[in-house]
Amino acid sequence: MSDVVEKTLTALPGLFDSQTGAAKITNRLRQLIKSITELTSKHEEENLIKKELSAMKEQVSSPNTTMKQMREIMVRAMYCEMLGYDASFTYIHAIKLAQQGSVLEKRVGYLAVSLFLNEGHELLLLLVNTVLKDLQSTNLIEACMALTVVAQVFPKDMIPAVLPLVEDKLSHPKEIIRRKAVLALYKFYLIAPNQVQHIHAKFRKALCDKDPGVMTSSLHIYLQLIRESPDSYKDLTGSFVTILKQVVGGKLPVDFNYHSVPAPWLQIQLLRILSLLGKEDQSTSELMYEVLDESLRRAEMNHNITYAILFECVKTVYTIHPKAELLEKAARCIGNFVLSPKINLKYLGLKALTYVVQHDAKLALQHQMTIIECLDHSDFTIKRETLELLFRITNAQNVTVIVEKMLNFLRSCNDEHTIIHLVGKVAELAEKYPFN
Amino acid sequence: MIKFILMVNKQGQTRLSKYYEQVELGKRAALEADVVRGCLARRKEECSFVEYKDYKLVYRQYAALFIVVGITENENELSIYELVHNFVEVLDKYFSRVSELDIMFSLDKVHIILDEMILNGHIVETNKNRILAPLLALDKMAES
Repeated sequence: MSDVVEKTLTALPGLFDSQTGAAKITNRLRQLIKSITELTSKHEEENLIKKELSAMKEQVSSPNTTMKQMREIMVRAMYCEMLGYDASFTYIHAIKLAQQGSVLEKRVGYLAVSLFLNEGHELLLLLVNTVLKDLQSTNLIEACMALTVVAQVFPKDMIPAVLPLVEDKLSHPKEIIRRKAVLALYKFYLIAPNQVQHIHAKFRKALCDKDPGVMTSSLHIYLQLIRESPDSYKDLTGSFVTILKQVVGGKLPVDFNYHSVPAPWLQIQLLRILSLLGKEDQSTSELMYEVLDESLRRAEMNHNITYAILFECVKTVYTIHPKAELLEKAARCIGNFVLSPKINLKYLGLKALTYVVQHDAKLALQHQMTIIECLDHSDFTIKRETLELLFRITNAQNVTVIVEKMLNFLRSCNDEHTIIHLVGKVAELAEKYPFN
Repeated sequence: MIKFILMVNKQGQTRLSKYYEQVELGKRAALEADVVRGCLARRKEECSFVEYKDYKLVYRQYAALFIVVGITENENELSIYELVHNFVEVLDKYFSRVSELDIMFSLDKVHIILDEMILNGHIVETNKNRILAPLLALDKMAES
């Protein structure tokens, strides 16, 4: 990135337009950015932003300020707040911009609202009418941005006002609208679950939608629902297995690939869902063995993202009802991670060991030497993860050694949170093994 | 879930911040400075994940810019590490090889792109074409 930065920095003076009234405002944003790049102290920053905020105060109250200029002012306000300075006098104008601006201005208005306001803010009520209008717009782009902002920040009490419109969008011909409607309903479920109880049947429709994007968005709701009550959704296991099979088998359009891996984050999401469904349930787990085996086999490529999928796969294999062949493959996978020279993989391997050690203590024993090496690793993160693992494999024989290692670590540790966490662990062990 | 995404340069100046959990305005600068300090203290050969307070940071460096994502315990660190790269690839596609200045001059557009990828702290879209489609449509409409 750096030589492009150099080139752009030298070209900066040339970017300033002529001095007409409208261009002056465009210059203001560029001027602000230029000044920000030249700041050398906190004091300078305070002065700059103070001046900026008072200039903006004047402009927002002026009747001559156009929506185009207002958009620039919003971006400047975003900058000020990003640096930590309050620009709350602009909030109402953000809503006005969303109401009155042309399409790009409207989007920036909505963006500003999503950045500035949060759930309980009183000004949000003023947004509702604009959202209602845009949801009914024949312009798809406007409907999309309304759905996006609804999914980001919307007053809980006004959900009934928009719910019918959003529900309606679930059967829209365009996939992007259906997808965003599902995500808006997910948001509603998070903040007011009782309001969306009646539309569970519609989520099923979304799950079976012919468009993979719509199906994917329904998974967020399903993950939540299944976490809360896995038994009610066991009947969907077959569907999730089929979807994962299709994804892993490369049935999605090629633009869903990331570095030749088909929809990796979707695979991870599905693996998490299967993990929850198969836990402590033999018959449900049996439905998954084949696709898990396939996933373990397919993720052979040497890319971080396939390792991420493998990690999730391994976790799932160890969570659901055990199958010997799968466990063997998963154990081998963990071994490869732990022994890897790539530090990120080693970390993942340790994390996996910590997770599986409750199911298979032998695996940790197998990698004892590596674990002991990791304990003295220069990387603090690795060290800490290793201690976490050790805590899990403590027994009457090794508790003294392990507690000693923990105490050594504590002596050289500066971070408050880590200290509190570890002292708690040591206390736990002392209670469990009082005579050692 | 994802708690926040930051783009901070080596001097500690925040170029983009997006919070998916409420953090008071006054507390953000301190958090961001602390986070970037933690990442700057890491060496090249150390892993890209740091324990921070009671959650974790995943960071990735691009030239002078750090992209840092705060995540909760149950999140898959490596998948987030690659999500960051996917995000950068999307920006590269839109800006034709993105630079720190692109991000500064088009802050609103970078946010709009991010809004398509992550919502409420969850990953909602990773298909590059679908991520960029709304913004490209907006650009087209704004031109005419």
